[in-house]
Amino acid sequence: MNVAMQTNPKLTWSRFKYPDSLIRYGAWLGLAVFLGYSVDYLNIPLDRIFGMFGRMGDTLANRYYPPDIDYIMDVEYFGYVVETLQMAYLGALFGLILTIPLGWFGSHNMTPSKIFVYPIARAITMSCRAVHEMIFAIIFVAILGYGMLPGVLALTFFCTGFAGKLFAEEIEAIDMGPVEAMRATGANLFQIMLFAVFPQVRVALTGIAIYTWDVAFRAATVVGFFGAGGMGWYLKRNVLQIETERVAAILVSIIVLVAISEVVSAWARNRVMKMK
Amino acid sequence: MNTTITDVAARDIIIERIMQRQRRARMTTALAYGFGLILVAWSIQVTVIDDTDWARMGSFGQVMETAGQFIGLDFALFADLLHPTIETLMIACLGTLLGVIMCVPAAWFGAMNITPFKPVTYPLARAMMTLSRSIHEIVWALFFVSAVGLGAMAGIFAIAVRSVGFIAKMSAEAIENIDHGPVDAIRATGANEFQVMLYAILPQILPQVLGVVIFEWEINIRRSAILGLVGAGGLGLVFFRQMNTFNFHGVMSVIVAILFLILIGEMISHWARKAVI
Repeated sequence: MNVAMQTNPKLTWSRFKYPDSLIRYGAWLGLAVFLGYSVDYLNIPLDRIFGMFGRMGDTLANRYYPPDIDYIMDVEYFGYVVETLQMAYLGALFGLILTIPLGWFGSHNMTPSKIFVYPIARAITMSCRAVHEMIFAIIFVAILGYGMLPGVLALTFFCTGFAGKLFAEEIEAIDMGPVEAMRATGANLFQIMLFAVFPQVRVALTGIAIYTWDVAFRAATVVGFFGAGGMGWYLKRNVLQIETERVAAILVSIIVLVAISEVVSAWARNRVMKMK
Repeated sequence: MNTTITDVAARDIIIERIMQRQRRARMTTALAYGFGLILVAWSIQVTVIDDTDWARMGSFGQVMETAGQFIGLDFALFADLLHPTIETLMIACLGTLLGVIMCVPAAWFGAMNITPFKPVTYPLARAMMTLSRSIHEIVWALFFVSAVGLGAMAGIFAIAVRSVGFIAKMSAEAIENIDHGPVDAIRATGANEFQVMLYAILPQILPQVLGVVIFEWEINIRRSAILGLVGAGGLGLVFFRQMNTFNFHGVMSVIVAILFLILIGEMISHWARKAVI
């Protein structure tokens, strides 16, 4: 430090690591060029942006404003809410069941074969993660017909992708000591998994499961939009009939339910983490 | 070491109590599992068995036959997919950018330690975050399509509004966890609130927030790929068209394009997050 001070007497403080460097200006210029180019490429009508907020306000105030609360205070609608909950529950459950082998095979420290099983498990998890739940829902509706089964399957794939990555990361972070000890006793792969790995990730897996359920419920509220049952179907019907006040009411109900599920899941996760 | 009768009795009582507690814990666990199983059975009964039109679906072989129609790619379509793929990527980028701009006030109001007027601005910001996160992107896109018309702009707004919640929540948490030394130091020099934010808070949270933004950008790519389903441009529109013209191989081509785009996004985000942290 002292040497540096002597050889560099004009040390000045500056906010940035590389002030005035070409890289900085180049990055900003690149961003500006990209912005301009993409606005041009996407044909965004810039002149309409300014009038847009007023129009959006008008749309909200005139068409959506008094949400038709009576419409959602209905036994039939409550039935749909329960169906949505069941769909989310089953989807998350099946997804988590699928996740256990995928997370096991897809973690590079515990996978039985790094060359063969690991890339396959990773690829499955990644494709489930990459493809949006809506696309799964549409394809399953096309194959299986309308109803809640395609919704459950779409949510299963969605949850597999969501939880698979988290679970694999959790397994990769374990302490390898117990695994080595188990292996030294001559335990086979299942025994190692059951007695050395599982006790270490049990709490984390419970947390992931609760979180997955929360996310699955959020997805389940709209999976029905393309015919897979639940509240989404209700929403779609009213959107198509341009019953905007009912749409607003359904959205309010979704927001309230998601807020409740978020609070419950945060509470449950906190409790689980404390048990650690 | 002369054990009296009362000692033995006391020990027995303690053992009995521990056993009782264990028995009760086991009962609770069993009850919880039983309840879960009943819930599963009931859900399967209602959603899968009752609600499915088994007659329409046909036998297992027929289902497999229907599913088999999806296997295969329409190679002629790939040339037409280039434009929507770039569009999707751009919608994701611009939406994330706009979301970051919109999240500045939300994160500022939503952080307990710097919110300007706690009783009003804090709950307001938290409500905004919940609102943004709880409504699905499809619904946001529907709303913006009805407000600003068909096209990429609706998609950008939908993505932006949808990503505000997560980015703002994580940024607010980062702000709440900052070290207060620099804040006090900068304030002691007579800096105003804005300067404190720029020089004391922003440098501390920047790496964390950039990581969150990159993560959200990656998610936004997969979101923007479906916004076209409700008319907001990008790959979703092609997907919808292929689906409605029963060109199932074309559908698979679109999915391959989405996977390709997301693979690129994941690679960039992996690299960028390493560069940031």
